[in-house]
Amino acid sequence: MNARLLALLPAAIAINLVIGGLVNAIGLPLYLDSIGTILATVLAGPAVGILVGVIGQVLFGLINGYQWIPFGFIQVVIALLAGVAAAQAGFRSMGGSVAWGLLTGLVAGALSSVISYVLFKGVTATGTTAVVTLLRQLGWSLPAAVTASSLALDLVDKAAAFAVVGALVRSLPNRLMGRFPRAARAVGR
Amino acid sequence: MTLPPGALAARAHPFTPLVLTLSVALVALAAPGPEAAAFLYAATVLAVLAAGVGRAALRALVPLAPLWLFLFLLHGVLGDGERLVVAGLSFSRGGLLLAATQAARLGAIATASLALYASFSPSRFVDAVAERGWPFSASYLVVATLLALPRFRARAVAILEAQRSRGLRLRGNPMNRVRAIGPVTFPLLLGALAEVDERGFALETRCASGVARRTPLEPLRDTVADRGVRWLAGAGAAAAIAWRVFA
Repeated sequence: MNARLLALLPAAIAINLVIGGLVNAIGLPLYLDSIGTILATVLAGPAVGILVGVIGQVLFGLINGYQWIPFGFIQVVIALLAGVAAAQAGFRSMGGSVAWGLLTGLVAGALSSVISYVLFKGVTATGTTAVVTLLRQLGWSLPAAVTASSLALDLVDKAAAFAVVGALVRSLPNRLMGRFPRAARAVGR
Repeated sequence: MTLPPGALAARAHPFTPLVLTLSVALVALAAPGPEAAAFLYAATVLAVLAAGVGRAALRALVPLAPLWLFLFLLHGVLGDGERLVVAGLSFSRGGLLLAATQAARLGAIATASLALYASFSPSRFVDAVAERGWPFSASYLVVATLLALPRFRARAVAILEAQRSRGLRLRGNPMNRVRAIGPVTFPLLLGALAEVDERGFALETRCASGVARRTPLEPLRDTVADRGVRWLAGAGAAAAIAWRVFA
């Protein structure tokens, strides 16, 4: 692994783990905990994105409890889809970024609802679980409530994450863009 | 985190708490009912206290408390099946058992992992990895990220304060909040990318991507007790998973 990638990985992982705090301060019901994964994928390819996602999830588990590690699989899927989006110049415009984000949110939401239901009986992150509890109170079955809440939150979350990364990469100075040739392709330059 | 002098967790080989934590997580997932899960949780808390990182058991209660509450509401109160009436309130019998099992499982896993975090020494971990002859990049990724976290958190706080002082409104209607995402996230992301360049050069000059075997600065003692504990924990976790799958 070359030195620049070795420097990129901890930064991208730290972004995954820290950015949630920033979004909390704004008071939006988003996690954006895959921004580092998507950014690393756009800059250096899906293999690097997968490393960022998996190591980030393990370290998040170390700090907050290892129960969240199974969700690392979702990070792998996000990196793969972001890799496809980058190869197709999917970050060229805001609309394209949001569309790829929605597709990723759909897949990630479906997978995370399975993990959430099978391993955690529907009780995971506080915001998602609050929605599940509300839907159960309204008479939804537990699997339906878990699936609906995961899908709804992941669709918005991943669309926002892809939009942020797309806007960031499009605004990168040429000097930085030159260091990461894949990023230029992702924004259609 | 500062550990008490002579604490077991500070003396153990860095791989021992790691293997123990992973074993607790696997055994917790294999725990069949509330009794087994509660026993594992109690054993984990006692082990953490004995290792000198008892505060981790208390810190684990912070993320656990809302999860336990939701488990109780979602399964104990709103769960299906046979009902149980206590003091005029109706609960699901099966739901309460499921909630108790899951709560104890999560308790054991969170306590073990926060104890591992509390006892983690980056320099000892780097030495342990170097001693095994494993690639430097493996330990660098873990250690550099853990050391970067406080720096990034501090930077995030500074960005928020700076943007607020420039008049950015972080509250109010949802559209204002959505518009604030860019101004609060971009400086952090661009700063991180600019730092990548500098660190890349620094790592290159230290031959970080080289394949030569590194020498540990302070070689660690991997005692018979450490190795024994790791083998026992690993075997116990494998046995629990096998029993759960095949029994």
